[in-house]
Amino acid sequence: MSLKRIRSACVIIVGSLLFSLHGCAHYPVNEPKGAGHEAVRYQFHYPVEGLNTDSLFICLAFSGGGTRAAALSYGVLEKLRHVRITWKGVEKSLLDEVDCISSISGGSFTAAYYGLFGDRIFEEFRPKFLDVNVQSKLFGRLFNPVNWMRLASPYFSRIDLAAEYYDEHLFEGKTFAALAHPPRRPFVIVNATNMVNGERFEFTQEQLDFLASDLNSYPVARAVAASSAFPFLLSPITLKNYPHTDFRLPADYQGGLQDYDVNRRRYYWAKNRMIYLDDERYPYLHLMDGGLSDNIGLRPIEAAYRRTSGFIRRLINEGKIEKFVIIIVNARTVEKDTLSRSESPPGILTVAAKTATIAMENYSVETIETMKELRLERVKAQKNLAACQKRLDQCPGSTPLPTFATTIDPYVIEVNFEALRDPARRDYFQSLPTSFSLTSEQVDALIRVGPQLLEESPDYREFLESLAIP
Amino acid sequence: MEYLLVRFPRSRRVRIDDEFNGRTNELIELEAGRHTVSLGPPYTYEPDEYTIILKNTSALDPREVTFELKENT
Repeated sequence: MSLKRIRSACVIIVGSLLFSLHGCAHYPVNEPKGAGHEAVRYQFHYPVEGLNTDSLFICLAFSGGGTRAAALSYGVLEKLRHVRITWKGVEKSLLDEVDCISSISGGSFTAAYYGLFGDRIFEEFRPKFLDVNVQSKLFGRLFNPVNWMRLASPYFSRIDLAAEYYDEHLFEGKTFAALAHPPRRPFVIVNATNMVNGERFEFTQEQLDFLASDLNSYPVARAVAASSAFPFLLSPITLKNYPHTDFRLPADYQGGLQDYDVNRRRYYWAKNRMIYLDDERYPYLHLMDGGLSDNIGLRPIEAAYRRTSGFIRRLINEGKIEKFVIIIVNARTVEKDTLSRSESPPGILTVAAKTATIAMENYSVETIETMKELRLERVKAQKNLAACQKRLDQCPGSTPLPTFATTIDPYVIEVNFEALRDPARRDYFQSLPTSFSLTSEQVDALIRVGPQLLEESPDYREFLESLAIP
Repeated sequence: MEYLLVRFPRSRRVRIDDEFNGRTNELIELEAGRHTVSLGPPYTYEPDEYTIILKNTSALDPREVTFELKENT
């Protein structure tokens, strides 16, 4: 055989190999229901064994903001671990009483790691994530020629490389089955955003039921990657929407769909989920950063409080919750304005980037205020009933007023750099970048400031006083 | 939020939209809108269920529905 022929044969072989590699690269597809992984559904479980009680019910909301948000929420977890309380005669930490964590983007790394590995987070999370320049690791994979072939596939993209990195280096290949079993608290809700309708998408089995898909077999790393798929930098995560053969629409949604005139909030909540039932028209969905629909992660908690099917609402109406505490860890920054100094309008790239991200913080304050109003509404209802009953007690023979199953003592607490009194410190934290690469000094400062902001919060102090903690 | 009071001669769990959400003769706090209301077992009550539209209530003036014990139970 001539050298020329050998060379041609080599080219064909290498070309075929590359082509097959190109053809093989495909993101891991979520499995259909009935694939055999659904022994324990990933949902809120009542009740669970251990130190956690329903009567002191604590939910945490971790905002987006890259490593900044991950470090701030980690600092708050550490603080809660060190606060000792005695509840119903049992000594424990406040962290033992955390029942749910809802997270967005950077906050999802902390939430998912704690959900999977519990107290191991306090030994491992800093060296494995917070102190790592994750961005350079991701770029390293991006510039690896082996990955170029994979990236040439239409079914494999940058986000899949990121998810692989998170899976190998952080989440140890764990799937949601590891979160589901054994049933435990906190119930971690990782949130992303559906690109089609801009609706929040949560990685829970209840949501995956609408895709006729099984969550237990799905890697936690991919959910976190979807939650943190920042527009432009990372591509969306794709999920398959399977045919709905034996799906029964929950009654709460059936009612919501008829509520256009009575309760539009409930109507659109139900209606937005309906698109998934049309699996012929929507066989795939593409998920991006959770911050695009709610950058503080409070909406799932609000929904669980409002909805008849919500796990918080049910526990409240069943009289199980006595103290209800929400701690919002908000790593919001304030962007330095440079656009306003320019006489000429911004270029197309700036406009595109701004368009994708400018709305991320628009409704955070409104969401927090809505939750505070819901809290106040309950407190007022309880006070009105008590005041009226007190008057009725003076009328002999009067019938007692009906009461709630229990009187709830609710708190909404926010950790936010805005609360820092020193303008220089406030400016320092509010100027930290949204990236997956911060210096050790910046990470240190964030881990320290979380507990400080919590301690200085009047709502948190009031909550501690109610537990007789000075 | 809206308020519902389910009257029944006995203390029984209340099922709202297929989920247990409180007990009879206690105030139940719910989102405004259309809900189905029934009771937990034993099924010795009537009617089987109510479909209500909950709106414009208050804790002092809740929407009331009444279930009766079935005769011969």
